[in-house]
Amino acid sequence: MLRTSALQSVAIQGRFGADKGQPGLMLSVVHPLAIAMVIARKGKSKVLKDALATLKSVNVLWAGPDQYYVQSTVKSETALYIELKTKLANIASVTDQSHGRVTIRISGPKARAVLAKGTPIDLYTEEFPVGKSALTQMAHVGVHLTRTGNDEFTLSVFRGFSESFWEWLTSQSAEFGYQVG
Amino acid sequence: MSGFRIARGGLIDRSANLNFKFDGKSFTGHQGDTLASALIANGVHLMGRSFKYHRPRGVISAGASEPNALVELREGARREANTRATIVELYDGLTAQSQNRWPSLENDFLAINSLASSIFVAGFYYKTFMWPKSFWEKIYEPLIRKAAGLGTASKEADPDTYEKAYAHCDLLVIGSGPSGLMAARTAARSGARVILADEGSALGGSLLFENEEIDGTTGSTFAQAVISELASMPNVTLMPRTTIFGWFDGNIFGGLERVNDHVAVPPPFEPRQRYWRVHAKRAVLAAGAEERPLVFGGNDVPGVMLASAMRHYANRYGAAAGKSISVFTNNASAQRTAVDLQAHGINIAAVVDTRKNGKIINVKGGKSVKSVSLADGSHFECDAVAMSGGWSPIVNLMCHRGAKPIWNETIAAFTPPDMGSQFTAIGSASGKMLLSECLRGGIAAGTFKGKTPPTPKCRDEAFAIQPFWWVKESTGKAFIDYQNDATAKDLPLANREGYGHVELAKRYTTTGMATDQGKLGNVNAIAILAEAAGKSISEMGTTTFRPMYTPVSFGAFAGPFTGHHFQPVRKTPLHEWCVEQGAVFVETGLWMRSSWFPKAGEDWLTSASREVKATRANVGLCDVSTLGKIDIQGKDAGTFLDKIYCNTFSTLSIGKARYGLMLREDGVVFDDGTTSRLADDHYLMTTTTANAARVMSHIEFCHQALWPEMDVQYVSVTEQWAQMAIAGPKSRATLQKIVDSFTLNDETTPYLVAKDITILGGLTARLFRISFSGEHAYELAVPADHGNMVARAIMQAGQEFGIVPYGVEALSIMRIEKGHVAGGELNGTTTAGDLGLGKMMSTKKDFIGRMMATREGMVDAARQCVVGIKPVDKTMKIRSGGHLLNQNDKPSMANDQGYICSVAWSPMLNMWLGLALLSNGRARHGEVVKVFDGLRGHHYLGEICDPVHFDPKNERLHA
Repeated sequence: MLRTSALQSVAIQGRFGADKGQPGLMLSVVHPLAIAMVIARKGKSKVLKDALATLKSVNVLWAGPDQYYVQSTVKSETALYIELKTKLANIASVTDQSHGRVTIRISGPKARAVLAKGTPIDLYTEEFPVGKSALTQMAHVGVHLTRTGNDEFTLSVFRGFSESFWEWLTSQSAEFGYQVG
Repeated sequence: MSGFRIARGGLIDRSANLNFKFDGKSFTGHQGDTLASALIANGVHLMGRSFKYHRPRGVISAGASEPNALVELREGARREANTRATIVELYDGLTAQSQNRWPSLENDFLAINSLASSIFVAGFYYKTFMWPKSFWEKIYEPLIRKAAGLGTASKEADPDTYEKAYAHCDLLVIGSGPSGLMAARTAARSGARVILADEGSALGGSLLFENEEIDGTTGSTFAQAVISELASMPNVTLMPRTTIFGWFDGNIFGGLERVNDHVAVPPPFEPRQRYWRVHAKRAVLAAGAEERPLVFGGNDVPGVMLASAMRHYANRYGAAAGKSISVFTNNASAQRTAVDLQAHGINIAAVVDTRKNGKIINVKGGKSVKSVSLADGSHFECDAVAMSGGWSPIVNLMCHRGAKPIWNETIAAFTPPDMGSQFTAIGSASGKMLLSECLRGGIAAGTFKGKTPPTPKCRDEAFAIQPFWWVKESTGKAFIDYQNDATAKDLPLANREGYGHVELAKRYTTTGMATDQGKLGNVNAIAILAEAAGKSISEMGTTTFRPMYTPVSFGAFAGPFTGHHFQPVRKTPLHEWCVEQGAVFVETGLWMRSSWFPKAGEDWLTSASREVKATRANVGLCDVSTLGKIDIQGKDAGTFLDKIYCNTFSTLSIGKARYGLMLREDGVVFDDGTTSRLADDHYLMTTTTANAARVMSHIEFCHQALWPEMDVQYVSVTEQWAQMAIAGPKSRATLQKIVDSFTLNDETTPYLVAKDITILGGLTARLFRISFSGEHAYELAVPADHGNMVARAIMQAGQEFGIVPYGVEALSIMRIEKGHVAGGELNGTTTAGDLGLGKMMSTKKDFIGRMMATREGMVDAARQCVVGIKPVDKTMKIRSGGHLLNQNDKPSMANDQGYICSVAWSPMLNMWLGLALLSNGRARHGEVVKVFDGLRGHHYLGEICDPVHFDPKNERLHA
């Protein structure tokens, strides 16, 4: 069944903010996205890591000690959940979070400058390389932050905060000019 | 009117004329000027009136320490009080007003205070306004507040925006003078990530105005070359206009960037100021040193200025303070002023050096300097005085974490404490007074590894000082603290009257208070106080240094989090549907909850009453998505819940829900909710909306700290599900229309069932048969993205049955009618027994709160427990908070027996009713009590009854 993004009526496509030539950054909502929270059962940290490494068509993101978000843009949330439930039986507890979190992609030369207005995490490449995730807070909202490229990150927040968070993110992006895609 | 623009030189752009207004009068300055330098160049010395005596005051300094030249900058909503003219960058169209004067700066009525100065001594307020005590709040304080105070704040909303940001570096360099530049360049060349911050509008520090020679070129040319190199390096961030105002734990520094204070209106989308939190692996303090005034009669007459400030204005801005200058000093550095000004063609009337027993006793002049009188009886005509009482390293930041600076006899100044390698002081901030020492110290501080690079060659000016604190022969007022009008005599007075400790003397004399926090005067004050107390300066010590180094606007602290951005807004997945249904929302924590759904012309009570009646008659739909939902899994999940809850969950059948009650460790009820078992090792807990995060933390604590051996995993799923309560006699019929391929009845969906189903042709959902309203009811959870769509479908399905949306007001009315406890009763004072839930506490297992719940006082029969209450006069309204007394007791809290927790108008029973806590209440059903509402000053009779007001046999639940 077709899913409705929490930001559907807010994240309008187009060019916003200051006009200084090329936009400083791009913002987009990653939707629909299947997300499962996977938490290792007691004593199964290593087994879980190995099992996660064998999964196909998913991204595995660190989300706390012995905790991971497993994401897929190609599998349905139910398919992902059932697959993980089956493959990780007795290894991990699996919870569907596909609808509970809203994921925003931010990219471009000013992406780091905008994120620095929110997170105390050092986003310098050597400190926070591509593929690394962190749990942080921006604008009083808990954020799961992942670096997906040199100038590209994803931000995932609780669904209920997503509109408020989007307002903050866009207001902080405005000085550089941003494109919503 | 003696200041003027020197014909040539300085770092101003003379081709760019900027028009500005001060006190309504038009002036012209140049790009690169500050407001103070432009006023001086226009011959304006009088820039303000002092705080207490309203004495005419001119600019003293050329930087952040300025105590006198405080102005209201800009107009209207952008008006900012107490800005220092010395750091306000001039821009075209700038407007500023002087402060603390009436009717005008030239003729200030309250200057009459000066004549009464013998009574305005230290401790004046404490001595004078003591009696009668009641006069303080009503008369004295308003009067004092009216007379005192400096600028006035704009009462309009600030139209500009403010931001916050974080920065990280290997080396933070604070100050961009010779020491800071060398530290930054050395570190940057070795590849370190460097941030160079300076409060000034241009980088370069003292090299912007001191005549220096480095590597065969002028100081400012040398500085420009270094700054250009730094600007080209990707690992360097230059932050001019940025004051590092505080040093905090973890080597974190607070910074204020004045992004757009130097323009009339910030460009679109740009903030006025940005509040920085800088995380530095290492930091160096290269903030330089502050020149001290000398303490002598008339040292506040406009035209008396710090010697370094006078050459700063001349060399950097081409602004001469006067045509004929007297120099008064106790150290070698003021000689530079004499030499530099002479080079600009300005006459030096006298150089008076205390080291050669020279002393200026008094400055003559009111609103400007006319002449100076010396101790030897001589007089010199002049129109400005340059003074130097020595140099104080700017130690503030290094003392922000509690360490005290150390007195150094050689340079007669406090130097920074040793704070280890994470934060070191260099250059004159560390008491090194020679340029070569500054350059060398900077290079050493910037060297991370390997050999120290060579130091640029420079010319040194020898530094020597002989401390001299107070010209006691002066007959005119000799000021220690300009901003507070504290004079030298106030300090011995404070000592005589028992306030000789430096911290007491500060409060008693007000020395070192207000916007400049004694940057100029404190050391002089300490020295004079020490002498009066018969102590050494080292023994006297300093007052406490605290952030902020200079004032930081509230706007910067607030950042973008103002108005409706003050805190994030949390919306439920059904928000859009609620809006469609005309909901009025209420903030519940961060959540926006639908409160009631008025039809045209309805007030909240009419709407909520209609919602209750329709739900109890037919069916209603309520958004309950805000309830906390925690997914709990693992082989020990059941055992874990048995410990968390006072009742048992390990025995719960799969597919069933059970009401659970959790206690705090002290035996008081913590939270309640329905928890279901989805599989052998899988539970779903619900919590109250208010306690959702607290319960999650409690679970984390219990697992991590108390029972880490348990195999249990938990995660919040509150946001994953849109949850709806469908309540009322037609709820089953309504749901039947949307569930896929099964019949809802007491076999398939008995009371307290919890099952995974599909609806609307394949959509995953969870169905619970539970009820808060007391009706035959269900809760349906669907993945959040589908919430609005499903709610619409249910409304459509229920249309034929007269379905209504209902909000939390109706929800609350129904739970009070049914005597279900909620926030008002789960208020952190009640036990399970108090709530009538004592039997839920298992006797077969241990659980959090078990031990303490059995203490004598926790099981005392006289405890207040939950009862129902209704007014004896059925037409009366009862309110929460009313206290319950025996019927014939006097209305007084002395006779208190309990209080009303929750009330509602019951549309079913047509009267107000409530829940209350009453001592030994369960034995008192039927008793008439006096309800005493002290807040509203009345009392009335109420009848105690069973808390279940409506449908006492719970027939509707199973209907």
